[in-house]
Amino acid sequence: MTPINHLYWRAGFGLSPEEWQEKKNWPIEKAVNQLFTLAKTNSTFDLPERVVQRRLNELSREEREALREQQRQQLARVNADWVRRMADPKSPALLERMSLFWHGHFACRSRGGYLAAQQIITIRRHALGNFRDLLLGLARDPAMIRYLNNQQNRKQQANENFARELMELFTLGRDHYTEQDVKEAARAFTGWSSNLTGDFVFRRPWHDYGPKSFFGKKGNWNGEDIIDMILEKEACANFITRKVYRYFVNQRVDEHRVQRLAKTFYQSNYDIAELMRAIFTSPWFYAPENRGTKVKAPVELLVGMIKNFGLEFENDTPILFLQRALGQQLFNPPNVAGWPGGKNWIDNASLMLRLNLPLGIVGAAPFNFRAKADLEDRQENKQGRRLQAKANTQSLYQMIFRLPEAKKLPALAAYLLLVKPQMNTGLIKAFSPSQNPQEQVIQQALRLMSLPEYQLC
Amino acid sequence: MHFKRRDFIKASALASTSILAPNFLNAFTKTRSYRSRSGKILIVVQLSGGNDGLNTVVPYQNDIYYRSRPRLGINKQEVLKLNSDQGLNPVMKSLQSLYDEGLVSIINAVGYPNPDRSHFRSMDIWHTASDSKEYLQTGWLGRYLDHACHNCQQPYHALEIDDSLSLAMKGAERNGFAMSKPQQLRRAANNRFLKAVAQSTHEHEHEQVAYLYKTMIDSQSSAQYLFEQSKVHQAKENYPNTPFGRDLRQIAELITADTDTQVYYVSLTGFDTHANQKNVQARLLQQYADGIRALVKDLKRNDLLKDTLIMTFSEFGRRVQQNASNGTDHGTANNLFLIGEQLQKPGFFNAALDLSSLDDGDLLYQVDFRNIYATILDKWLDSSAPQILKQQFAPLDLL
Repeated sequence: MTPINHLYWRAGFGLSPEEWQEKKNWPIEKAVNQLFTLAKTNSTFDLPERVVQRRLNELSREEREALREQQRQQLARVNADWVRRMADPKSPALLERMSLFWHGHFACRSRGGYLAAQQIITIRRHALGNFRDLLLGLARDPAMIRYLNNQQNRKQQANENFARELMELFTLGRDHYTEQDVKEAARAFTGWSSNLTGDFVFRRPWHDYGPKSFFGKKGNWNGEDIIDMILEKEACANFITRKVYRYFVNQRVDEHRVQRLAKTFYQSNYDIAELMRAIFTSPWFYAPENRGTKVKAPVELLVGMIKNFGLEFENDTPILFLQRALGQQLFNPPNVAGWPGGKNWIDNASLMLRLNLPLGIVGAAPFNFRAKADLEDRQENKQGRRLQAKANTQSLYQMIFRLPEAKKLPALAAYLLLVKPQMNTGLIKAFSPSQNPQEQVIQQALRLMSLPEYQLC
Repeated sequence: MHFKRRDFIKASALASTSILAPNFLNAFTKTRSYRSRSGKILIVVQLSGGNDGLNTVVPYQNDIYYRSRPRLGINKQEVLKLNSDQGLNPVMKSLQSLYDEGLVSIINAVGYPNPDRSHFRSMDIWHTASDSKEYLQTGWLGRYLDHACHNCQQPYHALEIDDSLSLAMKGAERNGFAMSKPQQLRRAANNRFLKAVAQSTHEHEHEQVAYLYKTMIDSQSSAQYLFEQSKVHQAKENYPNTPFGRDLRQIAELITADTDTQVYYVSLTGFDTHANQKNVQARLLQQYADGIRALVKDLKRNDLLKDTLIMTFSEFGRRVQQNASNGTDHGTANNLFLIGEQLQKPGFFNAALDLSSLDDGDLLYQVDFRNIYATILDKWLDSSAPQILKQQFAPLDLL
């Protein structure tokens, strides 16, 4: 419920108990500066080995199966690594957060770990850099090229998928271009392709070098020209700023504020860091109406719990399984528009699962459930899974135990919740019956995390 | 959705009573409250991604079709012929048999003016029943719950077999209920602490918090009931062993158990076939046809088909001309199926598509989908279509 908690939940994924102890009384300015400084540190993301070396039709059925399995395993690894990274107090929190935002914006389903990692490396490189570089990087990204069928976009017969989504979802939004613009832009991106092993290639014979008329201007435009012409429109800065505002500040948009931010973003030539700094240093960002209004996305909920409890899962399976059960799998958005977010995360079944998770993961009782089956999952027939993780309860206890009795529960609540709970203290205590002081703190924490209020940040 | 506190308090009061009164949960003593209005059940099947209607109902006598689809066109010999010029994709034998029994109406060229080729926008238009340029926040079935449903306080009056709820099922005051597996929901709802939290008093000024509490309380009050209902009856037919097949089986079992649910919503995904369409679409259409046939037979066995109507739609059809990757790109008008025993005119409702007059390579619509919604709302759900659709759409001679 403090401004610091708000900042770290929006610009990162909350704080571990140790971080909380250290930073809870920091001035906002100091915290913001540290977030931006850390985001510049070199944090690499490992590329898995390239596994596709030959055309699929040159492989036997067994070899193909083995290859797919290898790709799936690599993808699972990349996914779980990223989640752990988001939760790691040593990671640059803002960079992880921005990468997740752009990953949602540039929604893309990746077939294997190599392509996924390559894309996320591109995103991280430009996540707080210049939007043009980011956009161009993704237009040349093999995972994106394959996902939006630009592999099949050729002079002889254009495939409009990428060109349409570029304008509708990535830059302008609807009503800022015509069907004719989509067709012409598609022609400009013909030949932007990727090779077998996963590199970008420009295939000259497939490219349409003829004149094109885009936004009413005639010329021999190529893909890069199209991107520049899109960025020339202030509507693009508006569209991106609006999306940033809805994600980082409030789904309910203050039009006036967004207009002002967008103008600065446009004038800065699309400097993302400048836009983000403007938001995090504005007093209105910390206004009560913007706090605790965001429904945690499944990955945020999961990462937050890992941080709160220093959770260590035995292997990657629960990390992947929980994403699927809660409705957000990294590298596997529902469609090209990405995850809709907000209240859309909350439905009857998913909310009940969320409310039960803290006890299920940290608590004593085995907790088995099934998630919606995924066609690509080989283990879909397994009835349920044990999801328990080792919890580092010591840190949480250290944070609390020196406080006088009456302040323990409020202190826990101030750390764990971003809205003031309608808390029935008696109820929490009645359901935290342990006589052991450390166990009692943990039980109370778990009860607080089971409240609907814990779903908000 | 803005949630009013007054309703929340009403909902909580209702939920707490239901938790306290175990009889409420007894499946066998319950009467169907929807019977009091019209007694009809609607199942909406959504084919997501834009199903290629031309390769679903094939105009097998049409030269333009074969010229436009040199690789993707379906051989005349293989088409499952329904009449002298139209037939089904060869994988849809199960649907053909329903058609032959007079249980299927096919409406050709369904769409809306100024069609939108974006999946999301077009899906929203279908879900909200809006005009092409109009943006609505509520769905047509959600508004049905809001306006027409005075006797249906149960949160599961409209049930989507999924983990998340579609816009179609979201109203301003009421929502449908999303659940993929009853046993999973019940396990989660049996948490003693959460039951205690639900029963303690709440006054939530905070809109999001109020929404979370309401959803929690609705879920708790419904979980046990739906679980019991799901165990009453076992479907007899063979459903495809896929998530979609299991969803249809779930619906058959709930309906047969006399569950107090009037609207069911279920989706089959994967129809966005920009490349290598043939096998992908065949796999999906076969799943669809086999699943629907199993559902229809199960309902018929229990004499419930006469009370059930199944509507199948997709957000748009696809271009007439195939693309270079043996797929098809986003198009416009599409066919729509109604399945049931109470069809006024089983068979083809209107003439085959006119492939000679296209709008920039796309089909022109002949029937506005909102006329079909109006038909269902007026004649099947016994409610007032103009109030729900916010415009006048004349019902058609379908039901």
